[in-house]
Amino acid sequence: MDVLLGTILGLVGIGALVLSVFVFRRAKRVTAATLAEQEEMRQRMYELAILKEVGDRIGYSLNIQKVADVIVGSLNQFIEYSTASYMILGPEKIAFRADIDKAVSHAFLDDVKQRMRLSLAAILDRDLGKVPLEETVTGAILIEDQGTSVQSFFNIPLVIAGNAVGVLTVAHTKAGLYKEKEMTMLYKIVGQASQAITQLEEVVTLERGKLQAMVESMQDGVLMTDTGFRVLVANSALRGAVNIPLGRELTIFDIVDACGGVLDFKGRLEESIKLDRTFVAGEVNLSGSIYQVFIFPVKSATAQGLGVLGGGVIFHDVTRERAAEKMREDFTSMMVHELRSPLDSIKKIGELLRTPSIRDDKASYDEYMGMVYQSASNMLELVNDLLDVAKLEAGKFQVQKKPTSIRTTIEDRVKFFDAQARNATIKLDFAFDGHVPDTLMFDPVRISQVLSNLISNSIKFTHPGGAIHVHALLHTQGRSINEEVTQAGLSWFVKDAEEKFKDLPNCVVVSVTDSGEGISSENLPKLFNKFEQFATSARSGEKKGTGLGLVITKGIAETHGGFVGVGSQEGVGSTFYFTITA
Amino acid sequence: MNEREQYMALMSEIIQKQIVILGPEIAVLKARNVPEISIENDGKVADIKGDPGQALEKLIDTYVELSGQIVRNALGSIFTKYPAVSAKQRSGA
Repeated sequence: MDVLLGTILGLVGIGALVLSVFVFRRAKRVTAATLAEQEEMRQRMYELAILKEVGDRIGYSLNIQKVADVIVGSLNQFIEYSTASYMILGPEKIAFRADIDKAVSHAFLDDVKQRMRLSLAAILDRDLGKVPLEETVTGAILIEDQGTSVQSFFNIPLVIAGNAVGVLTVAHTKAGLYKEKEMTMLYKIVGQASQAITQLEEVVTLERGKLQAMVESMQDGVLMTDTGFRVLVANSALRGAVNIPLGRELTIFDIVDACGGVLDFKGRLEESIKLDRTFVAGEVNLSGSIYQVFIFPVKSATAQGLGVLGGGVIFHDVTRERAAEKMREDFTSMMVHELRSPLDSIKKIGELLRTPSIRDDKASYDEYMGMVYQSASNMLELVNDLLDVAKLEAGKFQVQKKPTSIRTTIEDRVKFFDAQARNATIKLDFAFDGHVPDTLMFDPVRISQVLSNLISNSIKFTHPGGAIHVHALLHTQGRSINEEVTQAGLSWFVKDAEEKFKDLPNCVVVSVTDSGEGISSENLPKLFNKFEQFATSARSGEKKGTGLGLVITKGIAETHGGFVGVGSQEGVGSTFYFTITA
Repeated sequence: MNEREQYMALMSEIIQKQIVILGPEIAVLKARNVPEISIENDGKVADIKGDPGQALEKLIDTYVELSGQIVRNALGSIFTKYPAVSAKQRSGA
């Protein structure tokens, strides 16, 4: 019985021992797992905390140095180190910052710097030995103890948008300190911060691209400088104005040189930035063009109010405006001249007519009266033309459409000019396409005026022995106008008609083709321009007229719902035509 | 140098470069995660087990996973020294 009891107690004891060992081992495993979980949680929390801090402290900044500052400044919460440092490669120098947590020697820090330089050089595959270092060292003091050397360290490349911009380094005087897991975690954190900047930069680049495209598309030259007069933005129009090709660096001095002697560019810009004022500089002649120059401060809203970022300059090209102004002035003076000539003639003839010898000589009297009549007619013609042009420009030109025979109208005009053509030994004839309707809706007076303008022009510019042919044909919608004129056997110098007649409803095309001197391709587009025509006609000496006939012709045709056109071959002849809706 | 030796030399150079870029501890630790290669403490590849091409890819992927594509770009100059291996890797053979 005692033996049995002893056995039972022994078994119970063994069971209790086994159970306690089991419980102890299990508790140990649970504790280890808990610690691992806690450690993982701690790392995860740090990861989140540092990413939040990066976000909070840099806001929407794209400055990698600020991000590196945040990481280096908060690293001691997560990992033990002697120094945590970064190097950021700038255009002219390397920014180096080290946070010393435990006192190290100068030699230690120099060793860290050397390792970081080598790392950066290896990533970029370039020698950085001569790039100067701008150092900032914070934290514990540097000591002269030669015993401290770099025993543990690792570098984390700083990469923005696929480009290495720097390196972040953690170093310690103890050997074998860093575990793969914690190092990997830091790489991950830095990678995520870099990724956040990269994404932000992509957005900014996209938006900047839109703005850049807009500035680039502007006709005016646009320039922006910072407060130190460094050029931040310059579009192609500006480069064109100061004659600096794309690809060559543009500095403020290029613009100062270009404006030299005309405008104190730098002085004005400086004044504008300092005094917060806008200047409009008169007119500056650059590279053969005239520019009006606006200089103004560029401001940006900040928490402290409006801050001046730099200076802005707009070079507004006023060359065309000035040319148009000159043309208008020339037009006015030529018009006055054209009016003064017949008036002057009338005045002088009037004086002559007052002399008894002429007054009593009937033949002379009639001759002089004829001259007065001619001068008054010329003047009236000019005044009428000017009034017509004024009405056309004001949109007040009106036509009185009524059913009229185009055949009769053409025939009448050809007969009217027949004597003039004969005198100039020019053959003037006309023909009609059999499909042309008997009557069309148009203003017979105005269409007669159009025909008179075209025929009289042709007579003026056709040499003796030449020919003028007036023709009317029916254009059918959908048919090729070139085929139609070929079928009609017409001489036709118009090259751009096909496009104009495409999809055009049925219409009658009245053309006047001559074998005259023709018109150069350079002058063709100027024919229907008021100012150009007047200037040309005034220069053409003996063939001069008001020069406004074609401008009025165009206006009449368009008021009828049609259009005019012209084609020419220099030295061979010209075709002028207009359309009337059938 | 036979092909295997070329692969070993190439991978050793890659690890050496990563030692300069990342530091010796992390560069060697990460290389040791590639089961197909044996690494000495100084980062030299002592042996390759299995397909060397695959081992090379895994080694590079390990570094890329750690610090991004930038490390792959930094290896260009090493690959130019081993044109045969480079061509084979490109063709995927």
